[in-house]
Amino acid sequence: MSYYLATKKELIDWIQRLAAENQLYFPEKHGEASYRFNRVGPKSEIQFDRYIPTVVPPVKLLVPAREELLRFRTDAEGKTEVQPSLDTSFRVIAGVRSCDLKGISLMDLFFKDGVPDAYYLARRENTAIIGYSCNTPCDESAFCAAVDSLDHTEGADVYVTPVKEGDLLVEVKTSLGEKLTAGVDWKKCEDPEARRIGAVTARPEPFGRSFPAPLPDTMKIVADKYQSAVWEKHVKRCFSCGTCNLVCPTCYCFDVVDDLNLDAASGNRSRSWDGCMLPHFAEVSGGHNFRAEPAARQRHRVNRKFTYLPEKYEHGAVCVGCGRCGRQCTSHIDIFDIVTDLIQEGSR
Amino acid sequence: MKPKVAFFDFSSCEGCQLAILNCEDILLDILNLVDLVEFRMALTETAPRYDVAFVEGSIHRDEDIERILDIRARSTYLVALGACACIGNVQARSNFVAPAVNYGEIYGEEARNRVQVDPDYWDLWSHTRVRPIDAIVKVDAYLRGCPIVPREFLHLVKSLLQGTQPFFPPNAVCVDCKMNENECVLERGLTCMGPVTWGGCDSICINSGYVCDGCRGTLPHANVEAHIELMREHNIDDRDIRSRYRLFMGAEPIGRGV
Ligand code: SF4
Ligand code: SF4
Ligand code: SF4
Ligand code: SF4
Ligand code: SF4
Repeated sequence: MSYYLATKKELIDWIQRLAAENQLYFPEKHGEASYRFNRVGPKSEIQFDRYIPTVVPPVKLLVPAREELLRFRTDAEGKTEVQPSLDTSFRVIAGVRSCDLKGISLMDLFFKDGVPDAYYLARRENTAIIGYSCNTPCDESAFCAAVDSLDHTEGADVYVTPVKEGDLLVEVKTSLGEKLTAGVDWKKCEDPEARRIGAVTARPEPFGRSFPAPLPDTMKIVADKYQSAVWEKHVKRCFSCGTCNLVCPTCYCFDVVDDLNLDAASGNRSRSWDGCMLPHFAEVSGGHNFRAEPAARQRHRVNRKFTYLPEKYEHGAVCVGCGRCGRQCTSHIDIFDIVTDLIQEGSR
Repeated sequence: MKPKVAFFDFSSCEGCQLAILNCEDILLDILNLVDLVEFRMALTETAPRYDVAFVEGSIHRDEDIERILDIRARSTYLVALGACACIGNVQARSNFVAPAVNYGEIYGEEARNRVQVDPDYWDLWSHTRVRPIDAIVKVDAYLRGCPIVPREFLHLVKSLLQGTQPFFPPNAVCVDCKMNENECVLERGLTCMGPVTWGGCDSICINSGYVCDGCRGTLPHANVEAHIELMREHNIDDRDIRSRYRLFMGAEPIGRGV
């Protein structure tokens, strides 16, 4: 573990150098009011001053919206040859905020569970992450502090914290991080812990939105409120458009399809993002749908974040508070408001 | 035996058949596997039966009704090809204007009167009876969009040849849109038919900087009430909202009702 104090310019120059030699992704301005993790080229702007969580989280670089999993071909003798399509190219994702870092840590947990997902792991093992700590809430939708993700640093190879006007504390956390920072001529930092604590205590309090109950109580309330009028309230406006799933850094569901070529002997298998808010998600053969009503789907989504997955993985909330779902819901439905309503509904 | 495939058109621009001709790289392979018995008006409609009939265009006249019933009766599997056949398309906008008004505006007072009183001109009233083909006959599969999406056409053809069930997920255009990581046009103060519209088009209109106009028709679960409310929040007045719904969806219950 190495600690440095770098200036903003030094950090940006370093990222640009890395980008010249590697596939490097950084959140760039996109459209009127959004950001997107783009491949950095010579013309890209690297800056840390303005940011709100990107349209879709950086996890898209580990599980793309659509990806080929394998190709198959059966020859004349009936022997089938299968060729997996693994992507092992090395890449760097820089400017990953704590909410998304936690999202990636959770995805690591999910995709390693059971039969480890070779496709995810092939990408993950060849990805370096440079994290960046927020010292002010990105916007009014964020509630990362309320779900304990604001100080999440695990999963980063290098983690950067702005400590004082102009100064950046650079923590090199892994051997891959050491490799990426080899040769930098930044000032060594002798008192990283004190600097970090200084930065944390200088943050506004409360940081972003907070629930009207502490997190463990909040989670218990969500779990207890399986029957609640709140589930009906917000979905009145819901389009079941799935945006809230697709933009969530901890939603991992996908759909797998086989596509057979016209020769009926070869083809490929691919997967694409899916989401539990989509109407046919829980439909099974014969046409039965386990969650035909939007309210049932909404309840399921919220419970996945606050009850089911936390219980399964013995983890805190699986919502990282990035605010993407609320920010981008076409109908302003916000998981924060749903959970707040559940808390405020009173015990039954 | 190769399946017998036929193409028919009603009121349309034939752009969807053109979209199929544009699938050059795989079209010849398909043609080797099927027996194309009728294509456009090039061949006469005489084959006794079709395994698969692709029908393009919307239904307007009484003759159209007779013809589509006949095609249906001779087809095992009938596909609505493109927005005109699936939902009526833009021409259904004329359903909302009395022909006399249109003819008066374009050809003057005399035409306005004639179209009303002269039985020889009453056929022109068919312009106010634009319907999708499923208003008349049962449709087995819908290839949506104006024009259709070649990928969906190939999926359908392959599924039929391989004896599997073609599947077009009933997902909103928003799904394609997020997969393409577009900034939602609502962020730019615009409104969009995407949340109530059948996806599968790869959100091409939004990708290229425009909004979704709903050419693929409304989803079965479309929350129209919420969508109208959303448009109102964006200060779109009710007249314009109605117009948005009638651009492509005028012949759908939703467009008719708004
Ligand atoms: S983004 Fe909003 S409208 Fe779309 S499914 Fe989620 S809650 Fe419903
Ligand atoms: S549920 Fe919403 S706020 Fe929570 S992690 Fe997912 S997108 Fe972010
Ligand atoms: S949600 Fe929190 S951690 Fe994520 S970008 Fe906003 S302030 Fe930073
Ligand atoms: S731009 Fe339209 S299709 Fe895309 S997310 Fe927004 S409402 Fe949906
Ligand atoms: S974005 Fe909308 S208008 Fe454009 S092709 Fe898709 S459904 Fe049609």
